[in-house]
Order: sequence, then structure tokens, then C-alpha cells
Amino acid sequence: MTDWFARLRGIYFNLCCQLLGKNVRIGNGLKLYKKLTIDGPGRVELGENCVVTGVLGDKAQYVSIDTQTPEACITIGNNVVLCAARISARYAISIGNDVVIEESGIVDTDFHSIKRDRDSDLNEVPSKCKIVVGNGVLIGARSFISKGVSIGENTVAAPGSIIATSLKAGMVVCGNPARPMV
Amino acid sequence: MMTSMLRVAQEVVRDPREGAERLAAFLRGLYYILYYRAIRRNVRIGFPFSAFAAVNIVGPGLVTIGKHCYAAKNVFKGWTIVTHSPEASVTIGDRCVMGGITIRALERVEIGEKTMSANSLIQDYVWLDRERVRTKIGHTALPDIKPVVIGENVWLGAQCVVTCGSRIGKDSVLSAGTGCYNMQVDDYCLVSGNPAKKPLPIEKLLKLKGEL
Repeated sequence: MTDWFARLRGIYFNLCCQLLGKNVRIGNGLKLYKKLTIDGPGRVELGENCVVTGVLGDKAQYVSIDTQTPEACITIGNNVVLCAARISARYAISIGNDVVIEESGIVDTDFHSIKRDRDSDLNEVPSKCKIVVGNGVLIGARSFISKGVSIGENTVAAPGSIIATSLKAGMVVCGNPARPMV
Repeated sequence: MMTSMLRVAQEVVRDPREGAERLAAFLRGLYYILYYRAIRRNVRIGFPFSAFAAVNIVGPGLVTIGKHCYAAKNVFKGWTIVTHSPEASVTIGDRCVMGGITIRALERVEIGEKTMSANSLIQDYVWLDRERVRTKIGHTALPDIKPVVIGENVWLGAQCVVTCGSRIGKDSVLSAGTGCYNMQVDDYCLVSGNPAKKPLPIEKLLKLKGEL
């Protein structure tokens, strides 16, 4: 019953996006168990058979995908499970297939510079700030992925890890900064 | 029951503004107690319970919350307790003051009396989908599902992560942002770092500082 309802909600969400003329492309088979919000002028692409979940019954848990500039681009692959993930892009974020992201944040910008005026950082270049998450990656709850990180295939991050540097494929990491778990 | 009601009434008289907040929390707590008693038979909340923030209890497992507990205000919303299986149990002792915590259990999570906590995450597994992780990594040296036991009078700082098999002795302190993965902490120790470093006995620290 709930599966069926989630599927229907996904179709409704897709239809709403198309009617409102959002710059969004959503693949077939989207399942919405929780609320999904897509905001901003940028491009968002969701692959096929994606699932949006969270702890059922908790209204604070929902998935939000934001783009801050018209050039921003978020690409999400097929069969991705998003559990209360918060994704925000100024440049580009690409997420591969079969990825699971639990209750964590992905932001590809610092919003401010370290100078006194706290303006936006002029040294940020799209090629340096791009986030790439490989196929089959699993990211635990309350983790954070900061700008310029690329994560290799099948890497697993424990809950609470802060990923500030790039990771190779097939690692198990934890901690701040994220390093291999013993 | 009467004494606790009297205490709330006294506070309303003494300081109307703060007292009103206390009264609202008390009534909200009462609502939670009655709601869970009526709808969900596997949840038991002791009286009185002060809910300054929302409390969400989800799942088929057994949840027991002691008397005189506080759900404090926090940037993260209230309490979220999730049990993933009917055998799972979450036990919270008397006089706990916690805000913004998330507890998730597959087997057993125990929290002792008088524990204080800010927005921390407590779970008795590391990854919910262990089989999936195992097939991904290709080896079996993964942490098992083990019960988490937190003793009496423990102070958990903000953004702590306590997972799988951690045992924290009584009177211990976890500083902000600590990540405990299968850690055994003795009584009266200070733990910090993510992943956590070796626990320091607080008595030794106080001696070094010359406060003891």
C-alpha cells in the first residue's frame, strides 16, 4: 500500500515539476516516502528508480536539493536512495548509480571567503569545487562532504565522518578528517 | 503526581513567563504520555515528562523512558527514537536531560540516569544495511550489531556519534564532535576526537590542573 502510494506521489511530483516549468528532469520509477524539495534556477537531473525516504513519522526529515546559480548542475544516477539528505550546489555535483546517502549534507561551496569582509570566495573555480561521488558509495548519517572532493567507487563512510579530501575506491572510512577505519 | 503538579504551580507563581513555558512543556509531556499509552502499547513514558520540543517515537520495538525526563530545545528537533525490529529495545533512565538526540536501535540501547546530551546520534549498528556493505567491500571484518550501554551521569557533548558496541562508564564526559566506534570507556573519563582517542581519567586531569 505505502509502496504504491509512494510511487503515485513520485508521478505527481514529476508532473508538478513539468507544469511549473522547472529545470528538472526526473527518470521513471521515483518513489517518494518523504517530502522532496527542488529549488533554485540550476539544472537538476534524477535517474531512474530513485527512492526518497527518511524516518517515517518525523516531519523534520525530508530531502532537499538546491541550486544557487543558473550554471549549477546536480546529476544523480539510477537506483539512488536518499534518506533525509541535503544537497546544495553552486557549481556541480554528480552522484553515481546505486548510492545510499543517509541524513548528511553535500555542499560544493564555502559561501564565504576567509577575508574580513566575508564576501563570496573569488578563488573558487568550478573545476576545483566539483564534487564527484562514484557508483555504489554508502555514506552514513550526520556526515558531511565538502567542496572539491571526489569519492571512488564502493567506498563506505561511517556515521559522523567529515569528508574533506578525496578518497580512493573501495575504502572504509570514519572520523574527522575521514581516514581508513582499522 | 500531586507534588510534581504543585512544583509546576509554584514556579508559575514565582516567575510567570518562565513558569508558563514550564507549564506548556509539562502539558505537552502529559499529552505525549497519554498519546503513547493510548496508541502505542510498546512505549512507556514515566510521569512527569517535560517536553520543550517534539518527541517522535517510531517502530515496533520496546521503548521505556524514566521519570522526570526533559526533552530540551535544540537546533535539531527534539527526540527521535527509532526501533527497526520488534526485538529492539531502548531504555532511558530517570532524570535525563536531552535535546535533539536521535536514537536508532536494532538490538538494545541503554541510557542511565541523569544523563545529559546535546544533539548526538546513538545507534547500535554502524550501517543498517550490513549485507550491502559486506558485498561492497568484500571482507567480513565489519563491526557486528552490538548493544550500546551508556552509564549514569554521563555528559554527551554536541554532535557526538556513539555507535555499535560502545560502553561508556558512569560520570564520563564526551566532548563535542566525538565519534565512538566500538569503544570501551571506564568510569569518570574524558573522551574526545573523531575517531575517539584514548580516554583520559578526569581525576588525573584535575590533579594536573591542581584542582584536586
